[in-house]
Amino acid sequence: MALRREEDGAVKVALFTPMPPERSGIADYSALLLPALRERCDVVVAKRGGKRAPRGTDLCVYHVGNNPDAHGWIVEALRRTPGVVVLHDFVLHHLVAGLTIGRRDGHGYLDAMEREGGVVGRLLGHAVLDKRIPPLWENRPQDFHLAGEVLDLATGLIVHSRYVRDRAREAGYGGPAWVIPHPAFPVPGGPAATVAGEPLFGTFGNVNASKRVPQLLEAFSRVRRGRPRAGLLLVGAASPGFDLDRRLQRLGLDGGGIEREGFVDESRLWALMKAADVHVNLRSPTMGETSGTAIRALSLGKPLVVSDVGWFAELPDEVALKVPVGEREVEHLVVALELLASRPDVRDAMGAAAAELARREHDLDRVAELYVAALEQAAGGGAVADAVLGDVARAAAEVGIGADTPEAAEIARRLSEVELGR
Amino acid sequence: MRIAVCRPQVPFAHGGAEIFTDTLVEQLRARGHEAEIVSVPFKWYPGARVLTQAFTWRLLDLTEADGRPIDMVVATKFPSYVVRHPEKRVWLVHQFRQAYELDRSELGQFGEAPEERALRRKVQELDRVTLGEATRLFATSRNVAGRLERSTGLVAEVLPHPAQALAYRNDGHGDFVLSVNRLDRAKRVDLLVEAAAADPSLRVVIAGDGPERARLEQLAHARGVGGRVRFAGRVSVEELADLYATCFATFYAPVDEDFGLGPYESFLSGKPVITATDAGGPLEVVRDGSTGAVVDPEPAAVARAAAWLRDHPDEAAAYGRTGNAIAVEVTWERAIARLLA
Repeated sequence: MALRREEDGAVKVALFTPMPPERSGIADYSALLLPALRERCDVVVAKRGGKRAPRGTDLCVYHVGNNPDAHGWIVEALRRTPGVVVLHDFVLHHLVAGLTIGRRDGHGYLDAMEREGGVVGRLLGHAVLDKRIPPLWENRPQDFHLAGEVLDLATGLIVHSRYVRDRAREAGYGGPAWVIPHPAFPVPGGPAATVAGEPLFGTFGNVNASKRVPQLLEAFSRVRRGRPRAGLLLVGAASPGFDLDRRLQRLGLDGGGIEREGFVDESRLWALMKAADVHVNLRSPTMGETSGTAIRALSLGKPLVVSDVGWFAELPDEVALKVPVGEREVEHLVVALELLASRPDVRDAMGAAAAELARREHDLDRVAELYVAALEQAAGGGAVADAVLGDVARAAAEVGIGADTPEAAEIARRLSEVELGR
Repeated sequence: MRIAVCRPQVPFAHGGAEIFTDTLVEQLRARGHEAEIVSVPFKWYPGARVLTQAFTWRLLDLTEADGRPIDMVVATKFPSYVVRHPEKRVWLVHQFRQAYELDRSELGQFGEAPEERALRRKVQELDRVTLGEATRLFATSRNVAGRLERSTGLVAEVLPHPAQALAYRNDGHGDFVLSVNRLDRAKRVDLLVEAAAADPSLRVVIAGDGPERARLEQLAHARGVGGRVRFAGRVSVEELADLYATCFATFYAPVDEDFGLGPYESFLSGKPVITATDAGGPLEVVRDGSTGAVVDPEPAAVARAAAWLRDHPDEAAAYGRTGNAIAVEVTWERAIARLLA
């Protein structure tokens, strides 16, 4: 990277990220955050497909998610110049499959599987390549996250949840890590859509099994037996192979109670979200992702029902009822929906707490400030650590404290306690 | 209890924080505690020295002394709270302000190079970790508590500390405005010198010493106010009480001051305070038209406020009385009870 000059001014950051009009939650996220970051440091967004940072860059920041189309070029740039990784999903199996098998590089996939799963991993990889077993990225990606290469290249890690940070640590990542909340979206004006349902539950995003739609439909059908006026708003494209109509028919929901909209534009999405009294945002398995729709719900001051997994489990109890995933999931879900249907006061209290959480924790300026703090530490923290350690080591050596003495170990422990160590 | 009061010491500098900690120790002893100042020299430059000097505190073992346990440490200002102790109480005078609100101001320290930006962040991280260890966290003012919460998310109880013990009294409405401050740039005593230049009828006494003294004296000389602006230097406690007793008002307008003992001392002498709209802590007790004058940080505004208070002795006395009622409520008895609770 080019040498920096003092007159260059603020820390220069090159951002490798998808941006609108690309359709992805991460593109929306970057577009939301970018202006606030630019108020605080010098940010250049790398051109899509670009592999090098502009001259004079102090730090490269790579937004990595699980979609190979959106993030493949970003990983290639990361391979060329290591830097800070914003890890939006912990499980990167789909990304790695796209970057290897998707490019006719079966060996690359086998290597990635072996790196994480040893010989068994490699054998499973062979089975996938030979089509003897279904693709692991479809069926059990959570068992092989394949984040190892990205973590190895990361000089710093920004994540949105303690869950992802802890998983990264378990995977052997030892560098600096910052947990920075997802910023809240500004709520646009405009009325709520008119949708029937008293109360109206809403779920937003892809309609598929990992969003626990089968369990939600089952639970809602039971709730509706006692509450015929209750409604469920299902918004989002159905995933291929997910036969929604047949499920609705089987549960007796094809005659009413369900309001269905497919993929909708942003303004319609907000209008529908405003209409829902309760937002249901279930997930399992989790890839470690943060839900943009759940963040929107917080901004709108809506009570949430979520799965008790990953990032969702870290939401405060005041804003979200958490449903354990497993055998009795539907029963738990029924209890949660019933509670919120029967207690408008609880809905109101949770909604107020949600709005307060969005204002306090997810405020855009706060998030940008945390980001810049992390980026500044990532850009210059190594030099600072070297200077401190050098100073302390010199002083210790001058009075005869050698590197391998108990006294040196004590000094190292104290440095580490106040995060001044390496 | 055996209590170690921790304070950093900039060699040859003496100011409000030193008076505060010395008095705290005296007051603790007066209540039957064994109390002692623990002091470590502090130098905050160049470069990463601010961190290595701060780290010195971490290597101290204050859990016991001479074979007997130390029950509590009371840390005061950066970096004394880096110290380790199972019963660490922090009565925060201030953080390292160059890493916070003074950053990128003319009083800032850190440049734009990545290592300097990172150094500033490291100071902030050190604060988060070490202040977060405190078993109880107090701040001397709402201003200090507010900065702490904004910068670290840590919430401190506001606990103002009483002014130093002087023979406070009011000998009437004198003919000069008094400044009592360490003479450094942040205290903005030059505003008062310039105010004297703006109003030829104004008389000023400046008590205190510091690195700005020569510049301020030069400024007074250049403005031709030498005869009306007296630099009294560092004065004895008797002389200080006399000055408070005989002025008609005091001037106290640092930039975003943490807490500021000046207004309390002024009020205890029954004298109103002139401060500035951006003075920070003093604004918690100096209220315009009630306990003093709050004006824009401009010489002309300071001169107008001073002349008005001089020419309205009844109002000045009333403001002083209102301020006095605030100041007498802040006692060591109450402060120490909360600190040790």
